[in-house]
Amino acid sequence: MHALIDAWAAVNAFMASGGPVLFLIAGLTFFMWTLIFERVFYFNKALKSDVQGAVDQWEERSERKSWASHQIRYAMISRVSEKIQDNMDMIQACVALAPLFGLLGTVWGMINVFDVLAITGGGDAKQMASGVSMATIPTMAGMVAALSGVFANTYLARKAERETQLLEDHLTMDH
Amino acid sequence: MKSSIAKRVLVAAAAGLISFSAVAQEKAASLDDLLKMVQQSKVAESKEHKQREAEFRRQKANQQSLLKKAKDTRTAEEKRSAELEKKYQEQEVAVDQKRQQLDERLGSLKELFGHMSSTAADLRSNIGSSLVSAQYPNRTEFIDGLLAKMNSATKLPTIEEIERLWFEVQRETLESGKVVKFNATVIKPNGEQAQQEVVRVGNFNLVSNGKYLEMNDAYQLAELIRQPDASFQKMAEGLQASTAGFSAFGVDPTGPTGGSYLKAMINSPDIVERWHQGDIVGYIITAVGVFAMLLAIFRLIVLTGVSAKVNAQLRSSTPNTNNPLGRVLAVAEENKGVDGETLELKMEEAVLKERPAIESGLNLLKIIAMVAPLLGLLGTVTGMIVTFQAITIFGAGDPKAMAGGISSALITTVLGLCVAIPTVLMHTIVNARAKRVLHILEEQSAGIVAENAERK
Repeated sequence: MHALIDAWAAVNAFMASGGPVLFLIAGLTFFMWTLIFERVFYFNKALKSDVQGAVDQWEERSERKSWASHQIRYAMISRVSEKIQDNMDMIQACVALAPLFGLLGTVWGMINVFDVLAITGGGDAKQMASGVSMATIPTMAGMVAALSGVFANTYLARKAERETQLLEDHLTMDH
Repeated sequence: MKSSIAKRVLVAAAAGLISFSAVAQEKAASLDDLLKMVQQSKVAESKEHKQREAEFRRQKANQQSLLKKAKDTRTAEEKRSAELEKKYQEQEVAVDQKRQQLDERLGSLKELFGHMSSTAADLRSNIGSSLVSAQYPNRTEFIDGLLAKMNSATKLPTIEEIERLWFEVQRETLESGKVVKFNATVIKPNGEQAQQEVVRVGNFNLVSNGKYLEMNDAYQLAELIRQPDASFQKMAEGLQASTAGFSAFGVDPTGPTGGSYLKAMINSPDIVERWHQGDIVGYIITAVGVFAMLLAIFRLIVLTGVSAKVNAQLRSSTPNTNNPLGRVLAVAEENKGVDGETLELKMEEAVLKERPAIESGLNLLKIIAMVAPLLGLLGTVTGMIVTFQAITIFGAGDPKAMAGGISSALITTVLGLCVAIPTVLMHTIVNARAKRVLHILEEQSAGIVAENAERK
């Protein structure tokens, strides 16, 4: 329990020294990882039934060689791939936004530093330090958020591509 | 030639005489007249001089007696001065004796008074900046009186006064460790005065109704024009409402030395002032941002409507021309007899026609998302240029002016990012909507036609 309180206090101190932008980055990271986990769960669970449904529907057909049946197959693949690609853009946008938030925090912190300079005339390094930590911590947080997202995003993009490919392979035209 | 020079000299001389003599007031008709007038005035003047001389001679005897009188007075005064000098010397000896007597009698008390006067002086300067004075404003008069008494050579403090000094030192010490409530007059930022309950946190802060107060040199309380964050104000309110136990509170650590933190806060600009610091570039970025948001919301509404109609179209079998999918399907309906390849071409053409309406505005949003940070950078750089120009003119002697300029230059970068971030998000959302409809049109329309045909 004591360790928990200590950890909570440490988080609070970190958030306070990083300034308000840190909360935005935290929110963005939470949102991004929610989407990433949603995708992971989809690929591991719901996707299988979607693919199975498409394959069954395709296998049920009496003929699979005409122009019409090709178009139908194409549409079926497109529908499933739409589901696969769902939220992927959003994850990518979040990855791109995280460093921007970090930059925002940096600039905001710099403004604080210069404000303190303007008031104290540079005599008080201690007061400027709070602005400096407000400038650097969000940058770091933004980078960490973006990096964590980049790996997840790459994995998901690969997975999505492969699943689409697999689906195309499943919907055979040979018999 | 000669005569003209003579004439000029004469005129100049005449002019000089005219200005001096009272007789020659009236203007002379000719130069001869002038000469006559000068002669007359000379005669009159010499008469006056003679008169004055006679007067002086008459007075001479009188002067002699006056001189004698003055000399007598001088002798008398000299005598008196010598007497007074003697008396002064005698009295000086007496004063010295008395002083010695006083020193002897004071003895060790003298050291005590020395300590007392230094303590009183310390307390005076402490009380001057102490927030406790807001509660007990009349302490300074007593100490000023005591100090004056100590500094004079002829007066001694009474026992009551010595005890009062002890009491005041102890009261200051005790009060600076207490959190108390008392009633006082508070000056609001709009100039109104109100009698209200004030909470004093030791010697650190004064708060009233959630507002932080400052104390001026005349011990009047005034609300700070700019207050700390709402969270601190809430803590202050909580402190005022609480009656026992602990209550979280934001303290200005510089309180006992005059509260420079809180005073500095008044100088730092708030959000709106910061926004105005962005100047023209800042306003442009804001305008672009507002435009981007409006555009994004408008496109989102339009695309949501289109999406809903397309969904409805997917469920129905008859093409409806109020949505893009329906129009593409209608093309297929019209060309029922043709072979697959031709139908595909016709449909592709129809899809191409629908594309611009669905994608309109998307590129603009993307451009704004990219341009906004660049605009911010532009503002920052121009701000820096202005700042450094000021430095070339006024020199870099004042880091305050320079730092203020740089901090206001950076605000445009913040504005640029504040516009870019939501625009990127909105673009992603709107783009996802548009992409979905386009996917249905491009990849599924032919399939839908085939499915419809099979179903029949």
